[in-house]
Amino acid sequence: MAKDTRIILICSGKGGVGKTTLTANLGISLAQQGAKTAVLDADFGLRNLDLLLGLENRIVYTAQEVLEETCRLDQALVRHKQEPNLALLPAGNPRMLEWLKPSDMEKIVEMLSEIFDYVLIDCPAGVEDGFKNAVAASKEAIVVTNPEVSAVRDADRVIGLLNTNSINPVQLVLNRVRPKMMASQEMLSVEDVTDILALPLLGLVLEDEQVIVSTNRGEPLTLNGSKSPAGKCYSNIAKRLQGEEIPLIDPSKEGTSFGDKFKKLMQTKIF
Amino acid sequence: MVKLIKLSSIANQDWREVLIEKIEDLDIEDIELDFNDLLLNCDDIKEINSLCCKSRKRIINIKSTVPETIVSAKSLFFKSELYLKSNLKKNIHSGSKRKHNSEEITFHQGTVRSGENIHCQGHLFLLGDVNPGGIVRANGDVMIWGRLLGIAHAGLSGNNTAKISALQLMPVQLRIANKVARGPQQKPEPGLAEQAKITSGLIVISPLTSYK
Ligand SMILES: Nc1ncnc2c1ncn2[C@@H]1O[C@H](COP(=O)(O)OP(=O)(O)OP(=O)(O)O)[C@@H](O)[C@H]1O
Ligand SMILES: [Mg+2]
Repeated sequence: MAKDTRIILICSGKGGVGKTTLTANLGISLAQQGAKTAVLDADFGLRNLDLLLGLENRIVYTAQEVLEETCRLDQALVRHKQEPNLALLPAGNPRMLEWLKPSDMEKIVEMLSEIFDYVLIDCPAGVEDGFKNAVAASKEAIVVTNPEVSAVRDADRVIGLLNTNSINPVQLVLNRVRPKMMASQEMLSVEDVTDILALPLLGLVLEDEQVIVSTNRGEPLTLNGSKSPAGKCYSNIAKRLQGEEIPLIDPSKEGTSFGDKFKKLMQTKIF
Repeated sequence: MVKLIKLSSIANQDWREVLIEKIEDLDIEDIELDFNDLLLNCDDIKEINSLCCKSRKRIINIKSTVPETIVSAKSLFFKSELYLKSNLKKNIHSGSKRKHNSEEITFHQGTVRSGENIHCQGHLFLLGDVNPGGIVRANGDVMIWGRLLGIAHAGLSGNNTAKISALQLMPVQLRIANKVARGPQQKPEPGLAEQAKITSGLIVISPLTSYK
């Protein structure tokens, strides 16, 4: 069966830039939009995708048992209660990383491809074994970065490695954008980042306190519609992945209050 | 200690046999492989790796004059570098300074990203940018048809007449022969190609008028 499953690696190089948050929210959004989606934690050492999705207490089997053939794939998959189109394949215990080979990862992903339209792989930070295993199994990639010099530098390193591994397409998500800081040039601008990385921009995600609240609750922002600023961004990214054309937000127009906008409008009308 | 093992297509032998012969009785674990002009794909390099593993050898570095071979090696995450033909030997054996001014030019197309590094024996001509964190080095001149945002080192083996030029020169650091300079703080005007060379003992950047 030749199914065109999209196997997408979500990676960054630098740690803590928002890979897991993106994976969880994208997973929910894609599922809401009707795509059968599996999310997979390739970060065995410090896994937390299960936490973010609020599925930690429902894990019985993991990818490890599937590989050892002590359970079937569907026994290990944890389906999301509210979004049954989404399933998590939990990572095994951290020691699994010691024996896991790129071919094991390929095997897992191949099995998932039979069932799902999208397989999102949450990649560990760094470019070591965990990253190599995840790259081996992926077809395309989303590189997540922040508007900070060090994050951009590490993203660039990762992009070079993705290119030599014929991962295609590689798209960019710029996370934790603060329009005010960008406007005052205290933060790298969108252009500064895309100029160096030279990747198509899949989306921007605004800095949003709600992200932290939702992380702690184990309910991704996108689960309850996309009312918060970052939630909206995540759901737009999912739509663009599916091929819908949604214009990018313009950070210089974000963050200004309605009052400000109204004033501006009045000024342009009057003077 | 690392043992350098050379293979090439010149011998007209199967490289498998040559490799096995060379590593079989070697009592050093770490090896560096010089593939010279051998065109190897990923499968070849995987095979080589498993041959090495069998005789309990570890590949520390891979060198070749063939870009395809280096790309294959890189894609398998081996540390690897491209070098230019013929001159390597001459430089090592003669140690003569004149040789570094070799007219040979290595051409590289594509962006040099963070963590990547290109090293060549003659001049280097790069069609693409050098991003922050990327390094390009040449015994001769470094010419960049793009932006230099990382580090460039020209005149690697001591030639202080070597030059570095780029369409936009805003490096982290410049090195010519044994001189080191930090990049300019200000962004240069776009559309103004610049050149760096040693003038009275210092690295000086000036607009590039002609390549001499
Ligand atoms: N848009 C955002 N606004 C505010 N906080 C955010 C945003 N995105 C991520 N964060 C916060 O940043 C932290 C790191 O996020 P996350 O765990 O997703 O990163 P990661 O790249 O997966 O990290 P690691 O490399 O450790 O796996 C979390 O505390 C998260 O809540
Ligand atoms: Mg994570």
